[in-house]
Amino acid sequence: MVSPTSPRRLVAPAAGALRRRNAARSNRLTTTRSVRQAIVSVAGLVGAPVANQSGQRVGKVVDLVARMHADERYPPLTGVLVQVGSRLSFLPAGSVANIGHRGVGLRTARLDLRDFSRRPGEVLLAKDVLDHQLVDIDGRQVIRAADLYLAPVADQFRLVGLDVSLATLLRRIGPKRLRRRPTPERVIDWDAVSPFGEDVTSSPATVQLRRSDEQLRRLAPSDLADLLEDLGRPGRQQLLSRLDAATAADALEEMDPDELEALLREAGPDQAAELVAAMEPDEAVDALRDLTTDERETILDRMADDTADQLTALLAYPEHTAGGFMTSVLARAELTETVGEVERKLAGLREHRDQIDAVVLCDSDGALLADVPLFDLVAHPDGQLLADLLVAEGHPEPLTVPPTASVAEVAEQLVRTRRSSLLVVDESCVPLGRILADDVLDALLPERGRLHFPRLLQ
Amino acid sequence: MTPAETLAIESPETPAGRRPLAALRRLPGGRRLLGYLAIAGPGLVAANAGNDAAGIATYSSAGSQFGYRTLFFMVLVTVALVLVQEMAVRLGTFTGKGIAALIREQFSLRLTGLALFCVLLANTGLVVSEFAGIGAAFELFGISRYWVIPPAAVLIWGLVLFGSYRYAERIFLILSLAFFAYPIAAILGHPHWSTIGSNLVLPHFLLSKDYLLLGVALIGTTVSPYMQLYAAAGVVDRGAAPGNYRNARLDAISGALFACLVSITIIIATGATIGGRGPLDSAKEAAEALRPVAGNGAEALFAIGLLGASALAGAVVPLSSSYAISEAVGVERSVSRRFAEAPLFLGLFTFQVVLGAAVAMTPVNLISLLIGTQVLQGVVTPVVLIYLLILSNRREVLGAAANGPAFRAVATVVVGGISAMSLLLLGSTVLGWLGIG
Repeated sequence: MVSPTSPRRLVAPAAGALRRRNAARSNRLTTTRSVRQAIVSVAGLVGAPVANQSGQRVGKVVDLVARMHADERYPPLTGVLVQVGSRLSFLPAGSVANIGHRGVGLRTARLDLRDFSRRPGEVLLAKDVLDHQLVDIDGRQVIRAADLYLAPVADQFRLVGLDVSLATLLRRIGPKRLRRRPTPERVIDWDAVSPFGEDVTSSPATVQLRRSDEQLRRLAPSDLADLLEDLGRPGRQQLLSRLDAATAADALEEMDPDELEALLREAGPDQAAELVAAMEPDEAVDALRDLTTDERETILDRMADDTADQLTALLAYPEHTAGGFMTSVLARAELTETVGEVERKLAGLREHRDQIDAVVLCDSDGALLADVPLFDLVAHPDGQLLADLLVAEGHPEPLTVPPTASVAEVAEQLVRTRRSSLLVVDESCVPLGRILADDVLDALLPERGRLHFPRLLQ
Repeated sequence: MTPAETLAIESPETPAGRRPLAALRRLPGGRRLLGYLAIAGPGLVAANAGNDAAGIATYSSAGSQFGYRTLFFMVLVTVALVLVQEMAVRLGTFTGKGIAALIREQFSLRLTGLALFCVLLANTGLVVSEFAGIGAAFELFGISRYWVIPPAAVLIWGLVLFGSYRYAERIFLILSLAFFAYPIAAILGHPHWSTIGSNLVLPHFLLSKDYLLLGVALIGTTVSPYMQLYAAAGVVDRGAAPGNYRNARLDAISGALFACLVSITIIIATGATIGGRGPLDSAKEAAEALRPVAGNGAEALFAIGLLGASALAGAVVPLSSSYAISEAVGVERSVSRRFAEAPLFLGLFTFQVVLGAAVAMTPVNLISLLIGTQVLQGVVTPVVLIYLLILSNRREVLGAAANGPAFRAVATVVVGGISAMSLLLLGSTVLGWLGIG
């Protein structure tokens, strides 16, 4: 792999810092005693008795129903799924007087039994959310809920937080009496959580978790990449579908190559083609290289012809040669253009900003004339012609290598001339692509993947 | 602006259009084969990891104690392994989740705890057997196991912890290839092929406690719980989607068949050379079976194979249980990028290695210890299999890929049979303790 990890991925947040952040967040929710007493554990409520107004036991709690809605930060409880005798029925939140550690109390003496049918946006907290994977957007990690906490907010019960501590898991394994008592140790604010799961988001078509979607999109690509790696397949396909292609492609560029390979394989050819086409060409080629010939063909066939042709051309170069890890994104200019015109053209290439540090000039045959560093553009007045720049004092000769050059040769050239990039040219001196110093860095630094058991064994 | 548009303008004219596209898209080297192995593979690796030190000891003991009489039983075990591995791979490809994660999502937390406890128990037993295997290998060279096991434990722990395990693994893998001498030994040992034939197709069961004990050990060593966890984790990790299910299933089934074929040749080779001598009591005796191939070098060949297989599984097994438990807890990929920063994972791994090495140091007969751990596995395996069966029966987990009525019936009979044997063994052991049996 030539450029699997971008420099950003190498600067992982220290585990200590994350831990401190978690600790701070759990304090936020649980510092006040009153809050600790008011919150109710969902895991503890399941199986707890349901009593009528006079305190008689009429049934037991099977699950709790909450409505996830884009406009609400904390999902309100809409009802309780109760087992009365052998019958399962739905108790709307309106007929519930109180919810406590000991169970659910009814407002009325008689029980109005209704069958439960899931309304848009409704989820079963114990069945669909508890013990399933969720994304903690603040902590930027995938978590599995050990317990969910409800609290009375204004006049209704709402899902306010979740717990991920090992102690909570042990409490739930232990005797029933302990199970009811919340032990909020590492509580995460529900507002910072994005739920995933077949039933949480897909079945009710009207639920659009717009709020958390926006928060997700604001995450750095490397954080999104981590999340994509950590989620199970259903969760990761959902996360992908909630991102636009450009955001997703940025995240994909940051992923571990093996994880990316698995993701493209399971995404299906159409989605894979869309994602790969949106990636930077050098990263896209790296990703395609890891697939089988058939898989690669299927994906390339589904792309726009020019993108496919370009990637195919890049694929022809062996992986560890200059041609294999160059980027084919080149900013080009004409001798007759002025500095100002070129600068305006560059402004339109904002999304390739990491790949451009000089502007290529060619003659009418397409052969390389000069490679003008961005600094030279800034240092000259807007009205000056590019042709004048070439004869100006201190203009460097273009630095080139053939596509067959090795990483070591490229590194040697860059070190010798102290330049930040060089051009890859073919036999007739036509520029094919550019290699930046950080590409060489990626190729020279050892890969630092994350802990992953199945891969540890191959 | 999509990159496709920008690139059309900004990229240089490449000669791509003039070259035949298909040829270009095919990469140099053996990438195609590797690509196939990327989908097919985990099943094969998982099933063959079953032929470790404990496996060799158990199969050798079967051959030595009962000759060819366990062969028909092994055919039944093969069917069981094929069914079980297929279910594991199906769960992995269709849900995209590991088995431990599925158990956490589908069962109550207490039942999840029970399943993981069983996995941990079975695997820790296996780790004991791997260290016992390392000890036995060195004792064949005349080096006491008390000198060897502690450094071996530290070495395996360190190699995994500091990430250089991949390289060591290749060495262990090559060493363990020594056991491919068994099929040759089975042929060169001039066994009675007609007897083998009849033992393969007709049951020759014995109604004795020893036979039952060895039967449970054979199940335990062939259908180990960690193999199912590993097979599912493997397909999930490679991103095998429902579309790749045919390949994954083919791989799982062929892997299981191949592993059982090797096991059967071990029983034949041992049965032909030392069959009928009674229970195996030393590695030296087991090595006799390789004499037709290696002559006087049989002991060395056996020791090398045993060392490789034990060291290989000595890391794989504790890793697989640590991963399963971390997966169920939800911290399988904690914030850390390094092994040393995942406390639960590291703690469980260290615990198993330390306990495994410590138990293997107790002054008991190594071969008895090896077979004992497999009996433990055999007793625990049915519990894990029941979870697997329930999961793959559930339509809400697998949808249309859930077990059909016929598969469900066969699998239930298989799991029921295995459970019945374990219960029978447990029952007779308890009665024995009470002085009744």
